[in-house]
Amino acid sequence: MKYVLLHAVDESRLEDPLPVDLDVELDAWIEEMVARGVELDGARLARSSDATTVRVVDRHTTVTDGPFAETKEQVAGYDVIECDDLDAAVAVASAHPTTRIGSIEVRAFDAGMPDPEVPEKAAEGKRRYLMLVCADMRRAMAAEAAAPPADQAPSPDLHDAPDQPDEGDDEIDRWIADAGARRLYGWPLDFPNRAVTVRRVDGRVVTTDGPFAETKEQIAGFDLLECTDLDDAIEVAAGHPVAEGGVLDIRPLLV
Amino acid sequence: MADSRDAVALSFAESWGRLVAGLIGWCGDWDLAEECAAEAFAAAVPVWERDGVPDAPLAWLTTVARNRARDRMRRRTTEEAKITLAVADASEEVAAVDEEDIPDDRLRLIFTCCHPALPMPARVALTLRTLGGLTPAEIGRAFLVTEQTMEKRLVRARGKIRNAGIPYRVPPPELWSERVEGVLAVLYLMFNEGYAASSGEALLRVDVSAEAIRLTRSLVDLLPGEPEVRGLLALMLLTDARRPARVRDGHVVPLAEQDRSRWDLDLITDGARLLDAEPPWGPYAVQARIALCHDVAVQPDDTDWVAIAELYTLLPATAVTELNRAVAVSMAHGPEAALPLVESLADDLADYYLYAATLADLYARVGRRPDAVTALETAIRQAPTGAERRLLRERRDALLSCLDG
Repeated sequence: MKYVLLHAVDESRLEDPLPVDLDVELDAWIEEMVARGVELDGARLARSSDATTVRVVDRHTTVTDGPFAETKEQVAGYDVIECDDLDAAVAVASAHPTTRIGSIEVRAFDAGMPDPEVPEKAAEGKRRYLMLVCADMRRAMAAEAAAPPADQAPSPDLHDAPDQPDEGDDEIDRWIADAGARRLYGWPLDFPNRAVTVRRVDGRVVTTDGPFAETKEQIAGFDLLECTDLDDAIEVAAGHPVAEGGVLDIRPLLV
Repeated sequence: MADSRDAVALSFAESWGRLVAGLIGWCGDWDLAEECAAEAFAAAVPVWERDGVPDAPLAWLTTVARNRARDRMRRRTTEEAKITLAVADASEEVAAVDEEDIPDDRLRLIFTCCHPALPMPARVALTLRTLGGLTPAEIGRAFLVTEQTMEKRLVRARGKIRNAGIPYRVPPPELWSERVEGVLAVLYLMFNEGYAASSGEALLRVDVSAEAIRLTRSLVDLLPGEPEVRGLLALMLLTDARRPARVRDGHVVPLAEQDRSRWDLDLITDGARLLDAEPPWGPYAVQARIALCHDVAVQPDDTDWVAIAELYTLLPATAVTELNRAVAVSMAHGPEAALPLVESLADDLADYYLYAATLADLYARVGRRPDAVTALETAIRQAPTGAERRLLRERRDALLSCLDG
């Protein structure tokens, strides 16, 4: 199964560049996880003050400065990993040095995600952005909790997140076609109420239920974009079906 | 001596924006461009004071600044700086630059400074710094924050432009109208902030309104096909014309009580000339026309309130616009006609002090003085500045003394 590790860090305590020991530990973790075939993709992100959020209201695109939610901890990086099950994913997260300075939200991707193929460097003249697809999923989660028997729970996906369950898939397909070569990969995530968050308390790893921050809108999926500039990325974001009703948060990758 | 110093100062005001804009276009590095522009001006002062301002000051400054930039880039060792240098080297080899060869990059600069992905305060600060040439200390004083805070704001904004890849360009056609609107919003906010601050206590503050007018003036030259840019400049001039009469002894003087002989007729003429005679008029042009209706009235009673009430219907219908329209209606057709209009806005404007103040005024005019006093109490509680509160208290006390008598 594929999981994402969302590294959530209190930026006021985040040193730039990272302290040497942390940097060494990070390199060791990446090396090991790549060697084991666990790590499929990952990157550090620019600070949340460099984030830009895009919403579409009545077909009008609104661009604002800053991340989708003003939380104490902000997503500072991500890893896409392949593990047998959640326990294995949590073990991989627990070994990551982020647990020393913040927390890691472990969340499964929806089934069927292909292996991401990401060239090491961005194409000439292009920049990479992680686009967080965020939506208020409380209603969808409540509906799921109320309805089906556990053995045949429908695969929850971000298409159902806003109030347009019917044409969601078509719209996503159309958007993916429009984004074209600017989208390296992307996939919806499992509901945030099934996330596990890993942090270290007094040196011991502690896992808790749920996402790293309880916000109205939660990350429902993400796409890795390769664009000429921010305007290019904004255009891709504005075309996403979730932009109407939800919010897209564009984070430059740290280079 | 004093003359040459003035000439240097004038050249600074005229050249700074173009110099910085051109340097950013040349090397792509905002910090470097600004530092070297400042150094070029510092180098110019003694030379120009001694020898006079050169025939082509911009070329002189650009040459000096580019050489400084080149020196600094060579001293840097990071990969990124080397790339910058390679780009700059390829585009320009020799030291001396011809004035005609310097493209006017100010449009690219202003669109980037006013990009919607930057926080609004940063857009204002960045525009004042990079296009206007104000120092962080001056901008900080204008917005009542320390130099350090302002410097930090500017550093963060330039960091975001770099890290997030905000393009340095004039926007393409599909983004054109909303981005022009965004630039005008920044300039208008700048003007209003400066205007509000000018009624405050600090005499030391730089005149941000004047800077906003100067920047809008150059935008009129850069975007001759955009009537709303002219509309905005007209609105600024027609508002600014009343500035000499707006504050007396530290108090804001209401329009109706201003000494109209002190209004600046030249500014009124300039502003009026910028307006298109025929519709369609954009929101700034409409607001400018409303300002003009006030400006041309020799006495308050001469004001063409019927025309003003009509003009308000051309603006996007927000609660505040409706309130202003109601005021015009009350002047044109009497307070009875306006009261229901105002009262219908109660829910939308419950927290807006000018709503309560307007309501109080209408109550007073129809003879409902106790209601007027109650509304004024609300307005006093909600008013944002000491000057406004003072004015409202005076009005309340006058009403109370009427009630007693």
